[in-house]
Amino acid sequence: MANVLDLRRRIRSVKNTRQITKAMKMVSAAKLRRAQERALAARPYARMIVSVLESLTRRVELYDETTGNISHPLFITRPEKRVLLIVVSGDKGFAGAFNANILKTAYQFISGNQDKEIDIEAVGRKGRDQFRRRYPTAVYAEKQDEQGRTIQAREPRQGKVELTGDHPGLLTNLDASRVQEMAHSIVSRYVREEIDAAYIVYNEFKSVISQRLVVERLLPLIEVGKQQIAGAVEPTAEEKERAAEAALSAGIQLEAADTTEAEEEAKKFGTANVDYIYEQPAEELFAGLLPQYIFSVLYHSMTESVAAEHAARMTAMDSATNNASEMIDSLTLHMNRVRQAAITKEIIEIVSGAAAL
Amino acid sequence: MAEPSSNQVRVRLVTPERTLIECDATSVELPSKSGYMEVLYGHAPLLAELGAGDVTIHGAANSVSAKEAEGAESDLRYDVNWGFVEVLPGRVTILASDALKPEEIDVQRAEQQLDRGQKMWLAAGDSEEAYDEALRVIAEAEAKIASASGAEKH
Repeated sequence: MANVLDLRRRIRSVKNTRQITKAMKMVSAAKLRRAQERALAARPYARMIVSVLESLTRRVELYDETTGNISHPLFITRPEKRVLLIVVSGDKGFAGAFNANILKTAYQFISGNQDKEIDIEAVGRKGRDQFRRRYPTAVYAEKQDEQGRTIQAREPRQGKVELTGDHPGLLTNLDASRVQEMAHSIVSRYVREEIDAAYIVYNEFKSVISQRLVVERLLPLIEVGKQQIAGAVEPTAEEKERAAEAALSAGIQLEAADTTEAEEEAKKFGTANVDYIYEQPAEELFAGLLPQYIFSVLYHSMTESVAAEHAARMTAMDSATNNASEMIDSLTLHMNRVRQAAITKEIIEIVSGAAAL
Repeated sequence: MAEPSSNQVRVRLVTPERTLIECDATSVELPSKSGYMEVLYGHAPLLAELGAGDVTIHGAANSVSAKEAEGAESDLRYDVNWGFVEVLPGRVTILASDALKPEEIDVQRAEQQLDRGQKMWLAAGDSEEAYDEALRVIAEAEAKIASASGAEKH
């Protein structure tokens, strides 16, 4: 049986751990608040792009009547043979099952599409590390074409699933221009028919109690402005309750901030009931706006995923703090019992020693 | 929204990160893809794509964000490299993929970008796509440099 000293030492160690997890929880709460603000600030832009595209699709024929061609290559659907999968995970651990859940969903997607060739684009360090261990990285070689120019040519595949790119550090300070580059590369790969579809796996985050893991189709565009959800995992009621408790103790609002007014404002963009003068032909406007739409979907998914990561870490650290407190309580109880037992034993010894005299 | 009698347009400049500015102005200069244009109160409804260039807001006042609350006669200038604008009689909304104040521009980087663009232009050959891309990079860099040097003159 452990003696009082050992128990006291253990209690001290658990107390230290509790201190750390508590601090991490508060840090995550602060980061979550900032991430939420950023997600909120990014909303008008995304909303405006969507509404102007919606209004343009209503006014412009998607199909050219004389030739029957679709006016923009991003609308063209092809049989899905090669698929791009963008996985947005976290950069750091200690966030409960956050990264594990995202990777699980990604693996499910991959095993559900075994007949297809899948390219993975990993955003976030945790996901990248995992995929790197599991799948070969695509190899690009510089080759000379007929005119003597160097071009990047992809070597033959080493497997059905390959990692085509990673974006280290993209999530730490979400630089719009880097997301822009990424969107640009995805669009051009689609236009060049290197991929037939693009999906994105990320954690959607409206508020602490309203979040889910989704697989969303990015390309081809079937209908602008509608989320094309291919699969979603809702958290269990228990998980939601835990998250809500953690948020309350850290002073985070449960419901998403009310933005209806700003949303309504943004929705009006480009949709006023008047005849607009188009400075450029509508098709050109379209060609400029669509990649921007892809960008805004990507950017949106990343801002939400960052918020979700911090929320998950906050919840996990809150649980850890609670567990540590419980442990301290039970250890203290145990320690007191042991001490009491020792005292009782000593008294009995004295008393029985006195009786023997 | 501007009062009909005030002859002011309500200007909003929105970037992916946030709404950068929302204020009343007497006029706005916009770098449309096909050339600069100036919008005053009562302009006909218009949708246009913006190229690389400066958005200039003349006589900005009543700014919503306190940081930008400057005098009524001040001009606000932002360098934009791609954007989209909706003009309504009393309101101008600019969606810009990136908006920088002239003093925020890193001239050295812009010059490097210009160099890179010119190399791309030389390497483009017959490929129309590469050519367009190179031109875009060059235009962006030139607009940045012009905007930054304009800032020094002021």
